[in-house]
Amino acid sequence: MQWSILQTDVDARGLVLDPRTKLLLLITMAVFVLGGVGSAKLSFFNPVLCLVPFFLLLLSHRVKTAMVSLLLYILAYLIMLFVVPHTMGLINYLLLGTGVVVMRLLPGILTGMYVLSSTTVSEFTAAMRKIHVSEKLIIPLSVMFRFFPTVIDEYSSIKDAMCMRGVNFGGRNAGKALEYRLVPLMICSVKIGQELSAAALTRGLGGNVHRTNVCRIGFHITDTVVMALCAAPYVGLLLSWCGVL
Amino acid sequence: MNNKLNAKDLINVGIFTAIYFVLVFAFSMLGVIPIFMPLLCVVVPIIGGVPFMLFLTKVKKFGMILIMSLLTGLLMLLTGMGYFALIVSAVSGLIAEFVIRSGGYKSASKAILTSGIFSIWIWGNYILLFINREAYFATRQSFGQEYIDALTNLTPIWICPVLLVVAFVSGIIGGLFGRVLLKKHFIKAGIV
Repeated sequence: MQWSILQTDVDARGLVLDPRTKLLLLITMAVFVLGGVGSAKLSFFNPVLCLVPFFLLLLSHRVKTAMVSLLLYILAYLIMLFVVPHTMGLINYLLLGTGVVVMRLLPGILTGMYVLSSTTVSEFTAAMRKIHVSEKLIIPLSVMFRFFPTVIDEYSSIKDAMCMRGVNFGGRNAGKALEYRLVPLMICSVKIGQELSAAALTRGLGGNVHRTNVCRIGFHITDTVVMALCAAPYVGLLLSWCGVL
Repeated sequence: MNNKLNAKDLINVGIFTAIYFVLVFAFSMLGVIPIFMPLLCVVVPIIGGVPFMLFLTKVKKFGMILIMSLLTGLLMLLTGMGYFALIVSAVSGLIAEFVIRSGGYKSASKAILTSGIFSIWIWGNYILLFINREAYFATRQSFGQEYIDALTNLTPIWICPVLLVVAFVSGIIGGLFGRVLLKKHFIKAGIV
């Protein structure tokens, strides 16, 4: 059940942001933290941006996840700052590798977690329609985002089942491990997919009429704050291109 | 037959893109080790061939592969791999679309060829490494000088077109691999 954090629980999610704000946050994290664009001049801003998902998780009642990952992030930051310069060779490489993975990936993963766990499919669809994305992209996208937790969940169950039979990497039947995990995963995914499309069709997806949506989406004060935070690195990037910074 | 994409097709695209991406993402983690960085070009298309070949059995209309390809590129953008993959995937997805259509969505050899062409999107992730080495490493400064040196030695400039071919060939191998599994398991299970 460790991945249940990716599933949306509408009753207990605390702070609600507009899906469009979340999308902007996701892109900003991908460009500046994961992608590391303009890292030399703007690197001082990265920790600030990285703190955003921790706060968002805190505000949406994911206290434990937020605290654990915040501690992990600070630990990695301190190690990178103080320990790494004094080490050499293999230890240096290992520490550096882990530190980099934690510092670059963790904020991105947390943002992804926050977005997935706090957005319902209806809200996502409503927001996408507001920014005039084609229906041909909205449907696969919304199915996909809802399907990630399912795939991961199914995969971990299959992995457990196969481990019990000794089919795992490094076990007796390592050669079969890949095939014996991929095939069941595909089969159950296809089955779930068929059920999903049947359910969606009975609820009128793909009809000729314009579908209505009861979700209220809109920008509030919190959205403005997050958007301002997201806009800052872009402004910095523009300024550095113009030679100001 | 109605040639417009209906909701069922679009849901299928979403599901298979999700499976495909989870597999790609899991294996891409290997890229932290320098030697695996170019090797991802081999590993990812071969593993991805399995869900992709299963996906192709559901493709009967124009547009589904293109959407999957675009979504993969979009996800690369969201996971911080840069925008080149999105550009490449748009082109390769379109070519793959025409290839599979020329086989009437039934031909097995065309399907394997499609798998090869579709896989070229992964080459897009490497483009920045070759056309602007400084910019690429500027985004990976924190990986440390040793990583940068190792990766520079592993990727001389002539390897750029080689990677393209490698991605294509691996995609074909993945397609064959997927086809074997398809015959062995999925047809028996009544999924296809």
